[in-house]
Amino acid sequence: MTYTFFPGCSLDGAAKDYHRSTLAVAAKLGLELPELKDWICCGSTAAHSTDPLLADALPAKSLSAAGGSTVAVACAACYSRLKTANHHIAQDAALRARVAHVVGRDYDGRTPVLHLLEILGRDIGLARVAAAIRRPLAGLKVACYYGCLLVRPPEVTNFDDPENPTLMDQLLQTAGAEPLAWPHKTECCGASFSITDSSVVLELGKRILDMAQAAGADCISTACPLCQLNLDMRQKDMERRFGRRYRLPVFYFTQLLGLAMGCRPDELSLDSLVVGPGELLAAKGIGR
Amino acid sequence: MTGLMAPPIEIENIGGGLADEVHERSGASPMRCYQCAKCSSGCPVADGADRKPHELVRMVQTDQRQAVLTSRFIWACTSCHTCTTRCPQQVDIAGMIDALREMSRRAAAAAPATAVPVFNEIFLDAVRERGRIFELGLMLGFKLRTRRLFEDVDKAPMMLLKGKLPLSSPRVAGKDERDALFGRAAATTLEAGAATTPAPPAATTPAPPADGGSK
Repeated sequence: MTYTFFPGCSLDGAAKDYHRSTLAVAAKLGLELPELKDWICCGSTAAHSTDPLLADALPAKSLSAAGGSTVAVACAACYSRLKTANHHIAQDAALRARVAHVVGRDYDGRTPVLHLLEILGRDIGLARVAAAIRRPLAGLKVACYYGCLLVRPPEVTNFDDPENPTLMDQLLQTAGAEPLAWPHKTECCGASFSITDSSVVLELGKRILDMAQAAGADCISTACPLCQLNLDMRQKDMERRFGRRYRLPVFYFTQLLGLAMGCRPDELSLDSLVVGPGELLAAKGIGR
Repeated sequence: MTGLMAPPIEIENIGGGLADEVHERSGASPMRCYQCAKCSSGCPVADGADRKPHELVRMVQTDQRQAVLTSRFIWACTSCHTCTTRCPQQVDIAGMIDALREMSRRAAAAAPATAVPVFNEIFLDAVRERGRIFELGLMLGFKLRTRRLFEDVDKAPMMLLKGKLPLSSPRVAGKDERDALFGRAAATTLEAGAATTPAPPAATTPAPPADGGSK
């Protein structure tokens, strides 16, 4: 199976570990992810809070270069921006014309965009994922955290149940882990307030980590660079500010799948995690 | 009892100006809101902000332009889309807030306490210049502009150590093409904005005597 990969800026920066573990898992599944040539930034929240036309034009420029083949995305923010542009352009001919004028070429808004979770969970399917599992994550209690942009707004992303998504839960259950029922799967982590006002991220992150801990989680699994960074890199600050003790490793779901498929820790960049998972994995006998 | 109610809102006008302009710019329909406050119940930042989402919608309905465009809430919003997703009247509140941010910025009315517009500007300049975001450059640029040099000083070394902060910056070919794209987007949006912006505010033109609705 082949998809055109739109990695997004974070996967070449703070989420290099997500990039690396994605490619490691893809290799185990025979999934080919050739990178879209000369893709540009999706514009993220900065574009849609500044100029709606620019927010549709930036994704349209990259998507029109994909030649109609299905585009695979790992970052939840890129996913949201690419799908929102498609949603707008495909149903509004006047907007399509304005975007074509801005980009310099016409784009119909119909290049399919899928998140890795959808590709692994639906296109490849749980049976093929199960067949690739070598070392099940037995006894690992995981709080699957989806964040905002995969699930909302549902008429744009059409990803899964917007209040209780289960795609990541199903994949990790297939990998032998125990996904937990918990109510904060789609709460907001504060996103780019990490840079503009980190106190927002500390408060929102605390609520998520509190709930994961109360649900009995050993760790958290994420599918978005900013969610992972906020919950992992700022976890110590949250512990200090609110007098908590979490020690909850915050994985990318690809890292957990990779462990179950027998990838080496360095293939998954496990040492990039700020809250080190070594102790937890050793205690559960995972990754040896 | 009164403690449970939203603060009273000065009614200048119902519907019209601001609600129409928001609808034109974003497709959101604030006039459909019946104030159930479900948006505010799910909003992650409502309890720390100057307004809650349903109050902001009411202020748009009642055309309180100045108060809305200077509200801190429109910059405190994390764009999580919980409000839009749960609204029983399908009011795209997050879309409405995007339109308000744009209008607020154009009117140079953004709440002074927020650093978000500066961040957005630096972010988009970087996209135009390089095609992709170079996180280290973005963080440094933001710190210099906002003079927050000593905030989070522990984070950059931590990220470097963890291999999360590459020092070389990405650059995609086609800068001229991107310059042209950004230029055309700004010009087209400005044109569309000029077509929807109402005539100069009432203060500059004497109200016709027949208009009994205005005070």
